[in-house]
Amino acid sequence: MRLYEFEASELFRREGIPVPASAVAASAGEAREKAAEIGLPVVIKAQVLVGGRGLAGGVQTAASLEQVAEVANRLLHTSIKGWPVHKVMVARQVAVAQEFYLGVTIDGYEGQPVVILSAAGGVSVEDIARTHPELVASRHVPISLGLTLQEAREMAGRVGLGGKDQDSVANLLLTLYRVFRKYDALVAEINPLARTVDGKYLALDAKVEIDDSALFRHTDLKLEPEERIPNPLERQGQQIGVTYVDLDGDIGIIASGAGLGMATMDIVGRILRPANFLETGGAITADLLYQAMALVTQKKNLRAIFINLYGGINPIDEGAKGVVRYIQENRVTIPVVAKALGNRQEETWEILRSGGVNVVTNVATEKGVAELARLLEGKG
Amino acid sequence: MSILLNRDTRVLVQGITGRAGRTQTRWMLEYGTKVVAGVTPGRGGEAVEGIPVYNTVAEAVGEQRAEASVFFVPPPAVRDAAYETMDAGIKLIVVVTEHVPVHDVMEIRSYARDRGVRLLGPTSPGIITPGEAKVGIMPGNMFRPGRIGIISRSGTLSYEVSVDLLAAGLGQSTVVGIGADPVVFTGMTELLELFENDPATDQVVIIGEVGGTQEEKAAEFIARRMTKPVVAYVAGRQAPEGKRMGHAGAIIQGGLGTPQSKVNALRQAEVPVADYPLEVVELVQKRRQRIG
Repeated sequence: MRLYEFEASELFRREGIPVPASAVAASAGEAREKAAEIGLPVVIKAQVLVGGRGLAGGVQTAASLEQVAEVANRLLHTSIKGWPVHKVMVARQVAVAQEFYLGVTIDGYEGQPVVILSAAGGVSVEDIARTHPELVASRHVPISLGLTLQEAREMAGRVGLGGKDQDSVANLLLTLYRVFRKYDALVAEINPLARTVDGKYLALDAKVEIDDSALFRHTDLKLEPEERIPNPLERQGQQIGVTYVDLDGDIGIIASGAGLGMATMDIVGRILRPANFLETGGAITADLLYQAMALVTQKKNLRAIFINLYGGINPIDEGAKGVVRYIQENRVTIPVVAKALGNRQEETWEILRSGGVNVVTNVATEKGVAELARLLEGKG
Repeated sequence: MSILLNRDTRVLVQGITGRAGRTQTRWMLEYGTKVVAGVTPGRGGEAVEGIPVYNTVAEAVGEQRAEASVFFVPPPAVRDAAYETMDAGIKLIVVVTEHVPVHDVMEIRSYARDRGVRLLGPTSPGIITPGEAKVGIMPGNMFRPGRIGIISRSGTLSYEVSVDLLAAGLGQSTVVGIGADPVVFTGMTELLELFENDPATDQVVIIGEVGGTQEEKAAEFIARRMTKPVVAYVAGRQAPEGKRMGHAGAIIQGGLGTPQSKVNALRQAEVPVADYPLEVVELVQKRRQRIG
């Protein structure tokens, strides 16, 4: 789960990473009030979960309360890369002497955390690593040992820091690593970290993504019940417990595995246009597939549905009952083609056929999709 | 011969009294797997499908000489169960459990490497050596004995490709599901090495997908070390950036993990890459003719 900046910033504050005075607002009036408390000038930042927010105009400064209200009002009525802005963060503007990038992420292949420090912040660290490698230090951390102060100081030294600055930045790296571990983060990032003209260090942005599989350990975080998925169909998918990804075609896909779903999408995409990716995961029930059908059929201009099931851990005959119940209750008239193999496949075929589903047996997905294309052509 | 698993491997099922553990134990036994014991803390003394259940892994190892284990334990319990199992001396662990926290995976992996234990997963469908044994949830009727090794990030896609291969009369030596979490215990590269050294395997199929760098690293290894032919398929050619495609690790992010990067790396290593699963069969057959 990706945290909004105002949530991650609060987390940083609690864990000892200094951040500028700030508050979150959902209206122009509220933004104005908060700015008056914080003190001018302020930075007003759209709260959206996409990168490149600054370039898209989502970060503005304001020097008067009138300007605060005007900017907040404008931001609260825009969308940034498909995200409607529901909240803005109002933060005290600071005079910056130097910017840094601090990040902790996971090297999936090595299975270890990686700590990255750059003496040029505010921009993409990948770009800096390419153009000015001497400004970037990174290090894999053995998870059983953790990051030591000595190692953090060495990294700060490598990007040109000495004296008190070296110690300050090294300590912030340690704190960020501790936040990363404590909250089961996939990413914890400060970009930029600013050294102010009076020599203080402040995190001017906060990015934290927590591993969804570890949220059960962090119920105490009390995150705002914010919307984190802008697409209504994808949001509904999450609510019913499937992965739904909205695409721009007109052939619905339901698959009983992620890999199978991606392959089905690829195969459909060779001759037709997939409307979505939908993967049920390993806990199929009649109800789940009923809801999956209800979700997929909401897509406008849907022309057909392809269902691809494997009965490994999944009781696909149960799933078939849900599909058929949906078709019968809602009088689905577009072609539905299904391929189902594995444990209890014969029972599954029989149930699907009873609901008017075209069942393709013992063939590759490619042939099933070809059958669906043939049915569509037949309909003219 | 085969890799990792054969008909004599003595298998322990952890979480054997749960719904999935029970059902899958029955299916593993029906397939011929030598399941010798189960573990569920607090349920020692019971039996599932005639298999004795113990409270601890140490007891199961002591009494039944279990040497490999498969996990059907809930995600929050995986880390402690893994430590217990490794401490009891088991050298092969298949973690079927989905949604294991990534930080736990990193910790388990580090512990395992220090002790020479091989784990697969998380979210692994398991291992099958057709005609001999299966550990995990792969449906037995999708596979037949043969000489092709399969390494897959996806369970369902390994079934799909196997069925396609069977239709062409081609069976498998061993099929291994590595899982598709952001961090996996054992990657493609290590399994390629096992297949390279397995006399029962003539060629290898790797089934990848978007996200991470498993396929790129596999390509490096193939170019450097493999003498046996390898064929690949990479799923998710149409996957949009920034969306998790069902698997926690199947995501294109910041330009990393794209299908193009994987396909390019593999082709550079002279690995033929199928555009769709069925094409794997053609590519395998072509390579077979070349090796005669």
